[in-house]
Amino acid sequence: MRAFNAELSKLFSLPGIWLAFLIGAFSPAVIAALDSTAQKEKIIAGVSTRLSEVGYIGLGLGVQGVIILGVLAVSSEYLTESSESGGGNQITTSLTVVSSRFHFLLAKASAVTVISILLSIVAILTTVSATNLILGEYAPAFEASRLIGAVCYWIFTALLAFGITVLTKNGIIPLAVLMINSSVVTVSYLLAKVTKLAFYLPDKAGVDMFMFTSDSFHTPFTGGLIMFAWVAVLFIVAAIVFHRRDVTS
Amino acid sequence: MLTINNLVKHRGAQEILSGISFKARPGRVTGFLGPNGAGKSSTLRILLGLDRATSGSALINGKTFAELHNPLVTVGAALDGFGAHRMRTGRAHLRWIARASGLSRSRVEEVLEIVGLTNVAGKRVGSYSLGMGRRLGMAAALLGDPKILVLDEPVNGLDPEGIRWIRTFLRERAESGNTVLLSSHLMGELEETVDDVVIINHGKIVANGTLKEVIGNHSTLEGAFFALTSKNAGDVV
Amino acid sequence: MSVSSSRKITLILGAELEKLVTLPLVWLTLMGTFILNIVLAAAFISAGLQGAAGTQSILKIGLASMGYLQAGFIILGILATCSEYTGGQIRTTLTTIPWRGFQLSTKHLALAIVTIPMAFIIAASGVLYAFIMMRDTALVIEIDAIIKILVGATGYLTLTTLLSAAIGVLLRRTTPALVVLLGHYFIVSPLLRDFLPGIKNYFPDTAGYYMYMPPSSDDINVLTPMQGTGVLMLWTLIFITVAIVSYRKRDA
Repeated sequence: MRAFNAELSKLFSLPGIWLAFLIGAFSPAVIAALDSTAQKEKIIAGVSTRLSEVGYIGLGLGVQGVIILGVLAVSSEYLTESSESGGGNQITTSLTVVSSRFHFLLAKASAVTVISILLSIVAILTTVSATNLILGEYAPAFEASRLIGAVCYWIFTALLAFGITVLTKNGIIPLAVLMINSSVVTVSYLLAKVTKLAFYLPDKAGVDMFMFTSDSFHTPFTGGLIMFAWVAVLFIVAAIVFHRRDVTS
Repeated sequence: MLTINNLVKHRGAQEILSGISFKARPGRVTGFLGPNGAGKSSTLRILLGLDRATSGSALINGKTFAELHNPLVTVGAALDGFGAHRMRTGRAHLRWIARASGLSRSRVEEVLEIVGLTNVAGKRVGSYSLGMGRRLGMAAALLGDPKILVLDEPVNGLDPEGIRWIRTFLRERAESGNTVLLSSHLMGELEETVDDVVIINHGKIVANGTLKEVIGNHSTLEGAFFALTSKNAGDVV
Repeated sequence: MSVSSSRKITLILGAELEKLVTLPLVWLTLMGTFILNIVLAAAFISAGLQGAAGTQSILKIGLASMGYLQAGFIILGILATCSEYTGGQIRTTLTTIPWRGFQLSTKHLALAIVTIPMAFIIAASGVLYAFIMMRDTALVIEIDAIIKILVGATGYLTLTTLLSAAIGVLLRRTTPALVVLLGHYFIVSPLLRDFLPGIKNYFPDTAGYYMYMPPSSDDINVLTPMQGTGVLMLWTLIFITVAIVSYRKRDA
C-alpha cells in the first residue's frame, strides 16, 4: 500500500504528467466536437452512416494522453536527459525503498491504472458535454456499457505503454509506435486489410469494446478479452525481464 | 591569463553574481573555493561562454571565449558531469572533439595514455564509473595541449592514485608557465596544490590572494575558509 | 571570424558528421525505418494485388508507406539534436565550438548529408519492391517519372528531418519534441485535413505531400511539386532560424 502511494505521488509530481492530463482530458472532446460538427447535417437529416461513432471516436483517438502517462511513468525512472546529469538513475533509488521488484512494478501499474480511470472519466464527461452541445437533441444516448468499454480501452492501452517501456527503458519507441497506432492512420487498420490475424492485435480488438463500425470483427466482450490477454502477457514478460536484469545495463 | 572583471549575473529576480573580479595568472595554480551555490559554476560557465553575464567581462588573454580562434588549443575545460553522450565510446567522443579543432587522431591516443583510459576507451561512456568519466573530461580538456586549464572539481570521484596524479600533473603544468584555474571542495588537497586562492560566498569575493595571504593567522586553509564564509559580510583579506 | 573560415567550417562539419555517425541510435533508427518500410510495402502490395489488375499504380503503392516512414525520420531529427543534452555533452560542444550559429547550422547540414542518401535508399526500396511484385499487373510507368518522384520523396523526408531537428533544439528534450511532432503529423494534421480542407496547402506535411505524390484527377487545390517544396522549405527555414536565435541567446 505504501509503495502504491509512493508511486502515485511520484506520478503526480512529474512535470510531463500535466501534458498527459491536458491531452487526455480535452483532446477527446475536441475530436468529438470536430467530428460532430462535420456530421451535423447528416445526422439531423437522419442519413448519417456513422451515428454510432459520434462521440466515441473522440475517445478512441484521444487515448494519447494515457499513452504518455504509461510511458512517462516508467521512462522517468531511467531518464538522464538534462544538461546536469551525474547519473540520474531514479530507478536505483526506487528499488532500494521497495521490498521486491515485482512489488514495485505492481504498485506502479496500479498507480497508472487508477490515474487512467480518473482521466478517462474526465474525458467521457468532456466528450459527452461537447457532443451534446453541438448536436443538441440529435445527440445519441451514451450507453453505460459502451462507456465502460471505453474506460477499459484506456486502461489497457496505458498498461500496454507501461509494459513496453519497461522492456525498452527508453520512451521513444513505445511513444512513437503507440501514438501512430492510435492516430487516424493506424497500422493495424492497414494490416487488417491484408490478413485476418490483424484483428487480433490489441488495439484493433480493443476498439471493438466501444466502437461498432462497419468492420467490427469481435463482440465487445471478446475484444476486451483479447486486449486483456495482450496486456497480461506483456506484463508477465516485462516483470520477468525486469526482475532478472541489472539495473545499470 | 584569465581576467574576470566586475561580473554580474541575474537569473530572474535573483542576483547570482554581484561584481566578481579576480585574475588567474600564468605559471600559477589558482584555487576557486566557495560553499555550494556561491556562484563558482556560474562564473566558470560565463568565462567559457556557456552563459551570458548581465554585465562585466570575463576575458581570456584579453578576448572573450567566442573570439578565440581555436578555443580548445587555448583553453581546456573540464566541467561537471561527463560531458559525453552515454552511448558513444570514449574514443569516439574524443575523436570528434579532436576533429572539430583540427587535431590528429594520434593526439587522441596520446591523451588517453596520459589520463590512463586506454583500456576502456572502446567501451560506452554509459558504462564508465565516476572516476573514469572525470578522466575522460580531463582528456578532452588536454587534447589541444592548452596554455590554460579550467577545471571544475577535477578530483571528484578519483581514486587515491588519480588524486595524486592530478596534483603532480597540475603543478607541473603551472611550473612550465601554463595557467590553471580549478574549483574544489577538498581543502586538504587544495593546500598542497594551489598558489593563489579566491574565495567566493553568496556571489561576492571574500578573499583573493596567495595561499599564505589568505590563510593569514589561521592554521589551515580550511580554518580560513570557514572563518571567511561563516560571516555574511565578506571580510576581504 | 578570421581568414581560415572555410577551413573552420570543414572542421566543424567533419566533427558534426562524426558525432552523428558514431551515435548508435542513429543507425538503429535508420535500420528500423528501413525494415518498417519493407514490411509496410509488403502489406500495401498485398492489399493492392487483391484489387483490380491493371489499375494499380506502382508508384502510389510503393510510396504509400511514406506516411509512416516520416515518423522514423522525425525521430532521427529529434535524436540528432536532443542527444546533445544527454550527459551534458552540450557543454563540451560549446567549449570546443563556441560559434553557436555556425555550429547549429553545420549540424543541420551534417544531418542533411546523412539523411539524403538514406532517405533515397529507403524510398527507392519501397518502390522497387512494388515494381518487382506488381510488374505484370500494374500500369506502365516511365523511368523519369519514377526518378522525379523519388527525388521529391527524398527531399520531403530530408526537410522533415531538419524541421524535427530544429524543434528538438527548441524543446531540448526528446519526449516533448516527440509528442509535439508526432501529435501534429499523425493526429492534428489528419483531423484538420478532414474538417478544414482549406488548410491543406499551408501545413508542412500536407504541402510537402505534393512533393512526392503523383497528382490524381480528383484532387482540388493541388499544389505543384515545386510549390509544395517551397512551402515545406519555408517552414523548415523558419524553424531553423528560430532555433538558432534561441540557441544563441539562451544559457547552454
